[in-house]
Amino acid sequence: MCVGLSAKVISVKDGVAIVDASGAKREVSAELLDDLEPGEYVMVHAGAAIAKITDDDKNETDKLKEEYLK
Amino acid sequence: MSEAFDARTYLENYDGPDFRIMEVCGTHTHEIFRQGIRRILSPKIKLISGPGCPVCVTPVSFIDEAVYLALEKGCTITTFGDLVRVPGTKMSLAGARAKGASIKVVYSPSDAVKYAGAHKDEQVVFLSVGFETTTPSDVIAVKTAMREGLTNFSLLTANKTMPGAYEAMGKSCDAFLYPGHVHCITGTQICKDMCEKGISGVIAGFTGDELLTALAIAAKKHAEGKPFFVNCYPRVVTDEGSPAAVAIVDKFMQPCDAEWRGIGTIPMSGMELRDEYAAYDARKKFEIPDLKGEYKTACRCGDVLQGKILPKECPLFGKACNPDHPVGACMVSSEGACSAFFMYGGDL
Repeated sequence: MCVGLSAKVISVKDGVAIVDASGAKREVSAELLDDLEPGEYVMVHAGAAIAKITDDDKNETDKLKEEYLK
Repeated sequence: MSEAFDARTYLENYDGPDFRIMEVCGTHTHEIFRQGIRRILSPKIKLISGPGCPVCVTPVSFIDEAVYLALEKGCTITTFGDLVRVPGTKMSLAGARAKGASIKVVYSPSDAVKYAGAHKDEQVVFLSVGFETTTPSDVIAVKTAMREGLTNFSLLTANKTMPGAYEAMGKSCDAFLYPGHVHCITGTQICKDMCEKGISGVIAGFTGDELLTALAIAAKKHAEGKPFFVNCYPRVVTDEGSPAAVAIVDKFMQPCDAEWRGIGTIPMSGMELRDEYAAYDARKKFEIPDLKGEYKTACRCGDVLQGKILPKECPLFGKACNPDHPVGACMVSSEGACSAFFMYGGDL
């Protein structure tokens, strides 16, 4: 029940977003995120978009390794 | 040599002080197995599977309450699928269904509200379990039901919050692999506060590279000998978290004491609906009696959840208790530690 799914926002209207998660389109609540725009990526959990995804994991971990593992 | 290989190399060759790190989130437990990470760790690094699966820590009494609502009050129970086979004192919800109860598996709380809207002749109860990640969706469901004027929808709450568990479990390990999606709601202040109290940890994402990097950073920090905290999932977890989620939960819910299966009651580690929303609180609406759940078997889920034993050390593991015939919640839930050990190899 706790698995988060990353998904691309297709459209947003009245606090509801249509998202594309690996080809599967779903309606989710967008109530928790301000200024959500089509094309952005979000983390979806239990039917709600809970956070924006601001980078890919490669860039993220490259920066972390540079700072902490050198 | 790739950057990912550097983190892996560090974990393979780690020769610092013994390091016990507890993955709090069940999805972390499964991903670590699935990616084969346990197999490459230095013998000096031990992973402990902690209490971070909401289904696994839901007490027997909660299942008994749901069965009571289904069989005695005739409610339709809507729930995440993982809860259906969790044993209660006398039966699971699957057992109640066999006796004629209406048990519906839904993907989300909002789907339960939609069901209630389409079936106004039924009293629909959603089983509201989960941590900070899930609770906003639960209260959004109540808000939606109120907006649509539905009087046949309510929550049976067993929502929990993590800080009390971190403190209760802090001595079970040297550091936590904090659950990324809990902290995309709460932000990072809780972890910083834990660090001030001497409890270390890193927030981790869920890809192989993210997990290797977070574990390597945690091991390196541990070897330095001071309490530490690093947010290793910054592409999703911000310092402030989700103020909107925190605000909506605070509007509808308040902290309460909560029983954690296998751990006991942790003060103020639960969330319940505030009195003004009593009409949506199934416990009050249907005047559920005080049910004392009974744990009857030799199942040692409680010790597994606290990191005291590995699943394979439970006498039931893989014998009387397996995914087809689960005895304990950690084997029922697809995110449970026993399920992960059974699926990926109980020898690790």
